[in-house]
Amino acid sequence: MIGVLRSEWIKLRTIRMNWVLAILAIAFPLVVTGLTAALIDVDDMNSRDLAGLVTGTSVITGMLLGVIGASSITGEFGFGTIRTTFSATPRRSRVIIAKGVVTVAVAVVVEAAVVVLCFGVGAALLNSRDGDISLSAAGSARAALVGVVVFAAIVALLGYGLGLVIRNTPAAVAVLLLWPLVAEGLIGALLAVTGVDDPFKWLPYNAGINLGNPEANTDGSLGRVIGGLYFFGVAAAVTILGAISTSHRDA
Amino acid sequence: MSVTVTGLTKRFGRTVAVSNLSFTVEPGVVTGFLGPNGSGKSTTMRCMLGLDRADAGGALFDGRPYASIAKPLHEVGALLDAGYVHPGRSGRNHLRWLAASNGLTGKRVDEVLELVGLGSVGGKRVRTYSLGMRQRLGLAGVLLGDPATVILDEPANGLDPEGIRWIRDVLVHVAGQGKTVLVSSHLLSEMALMATSLVVIGKGQLVEQCTVDDFVTKYGDRWVRVRSPRIANLVEPLRSAGAVIGYVDDATVDVFHATAVDVGELAGKLGVVLHELSMQTGSLEDAFLKATASVQEYQSGAM
Repeated sequence: MIGVLRSEWIKLRTIRMNWVLAILAIAFPLVVTGLTAALIDVDDMNSRDLAGLVTGTSVITGMLLGVIGASSITGEFGFGTIRTTFSATPRRSRVIIAKGVVTVAVAVVVEAAVVVLCFGVGAALLNSRDGDISLSAAGSARAALVGVVVFAAIVALLGYGLGLVIRNTPAAVAVLLLWPLVAEGLIGALLAVTGVDDPFKWLPYNAGINLGNPEANTDGSLGRVIGGLYFFGVAAAVTILGAISTSHRDA
Repeated sequence: MSVTVTGLTKRFGRTVAVSNLSFTVEPGVVTGFLGPNGSGKSTTMRCMLGLDRADAGGALFDGRPYASIAKPLHEVGALLDAGYVHPGRSGRNHLRWLAASNGLTGKRVDEVLELVGLGSVGGKRVRTYSLGMRQRLGLAGVLLGDPATVILDEPANGLDPEGIRWIRDVLVHVAGQGKTVLVSSHLLSEMALMATSLVVIGKGQLVEQCTVDDFVTKYGDRWVRVRSPRIANLVEPLRSAGAVIGYVDDATVDVFHATAVDVGELAGKLGVVLHELSMQTGSLEDAFLKATASVQEYQSGAM
């Protein structure tokens, strides 16, 4: 199993596009947080606001990590390397698990780096302009800083699961990105018309985003922990579905 | 290690790709796997490796199914398609992930890269490789774990004559070490030089398993070529003896349904001087076409 994990880690880091995506995933929230902290009126941003800015901008990091997760498996189907992979490791479950573990681990490391870097740089910039920013002052928003790391890990898992099910890079990435941007909005509106109370809180991505939301535990949402668990449940279900089909189908 | 395929059957929807196919591959010789396009060679190989799920039957490697071998690169090296590589990875990185999955080291990766002549381009991306270089990279992957069994699907595809000779020499060498080699090809002339044993299939069914020599004897045409300045004096007596005559030129005929002994005896009796009397044998290509004539998936129409 160690060998298979090493193999999957080598695969992930020897694709240049993955490095481009990872750098974008870190650079985007860092630039936005940095510019905001440098330009905003210091009085308009307290520690809690900075935490919210960091988690809000780093949602895109989760999406990019989901793209890495999806293409890690769809690329193998697309280029046919899945056949080489399954020839070298006939127990497909080992490959499927190892790929998932590596994908999620990379997501956790990258998103944790984003949170630390962004909050650190934002705090340093604001404090250099006579702000008074500290992690301890962020209070309950600190949970959101941890939560957004969990959120990124779940999105990466969802991307991987969609890749296992759909097997095609553009299609899997499109579903991953259109799901929160378009599909949930339409479904929510439809459910609202049919008279469902608070339909949006039952939509997986909307529920999951509570993980990184400093104001998560308010009315009309499932809250941080339940929302996170619900989102994880959906991502895990998609992944298990994909794992079962990949285990049984012709490679 | 001997490989046994028993009752292998694989359907895709309503199409039967492989039907109750059984054959064995013995160590020490190169076994050629022959069949027309679409006859099920690649499907058979994918089923043998557990990549496609067989509907019935399967392959055993020294009595074990492939799926039960924990680190198969050490026992069975397989190359199904040299195109199964990510173009953005370097050749060396491709081999590194493959090696790591079976606990093999980076040192071994460099060894096999040298072995197949890619030592100097291992760091280049596969995108920049020619088809021949990709075949060599694929073969490097096969040799990684120094396996006792080697399975290759059309390894000569896309290689120049020098590359084909090289791969032939590698396979003959590997078989000479007592290893088991199964190689499919549609290049029959190559197979005749490379393989000692043959498994011939058509429409997913076994046509013949035998040695190359036996195959040619059984399916190949044999005839006698006769050259004489007085050939006309021989033709009618041969015809009356039941032979069929084909004219090659003014002085030469091909005699079918008669042996060299028959023709020689007759010529002696008639006092006809012979300048040539030789047995002729059809090529493996002819034998193959004859053996599979009834099972070609895509037959060309009459022109």
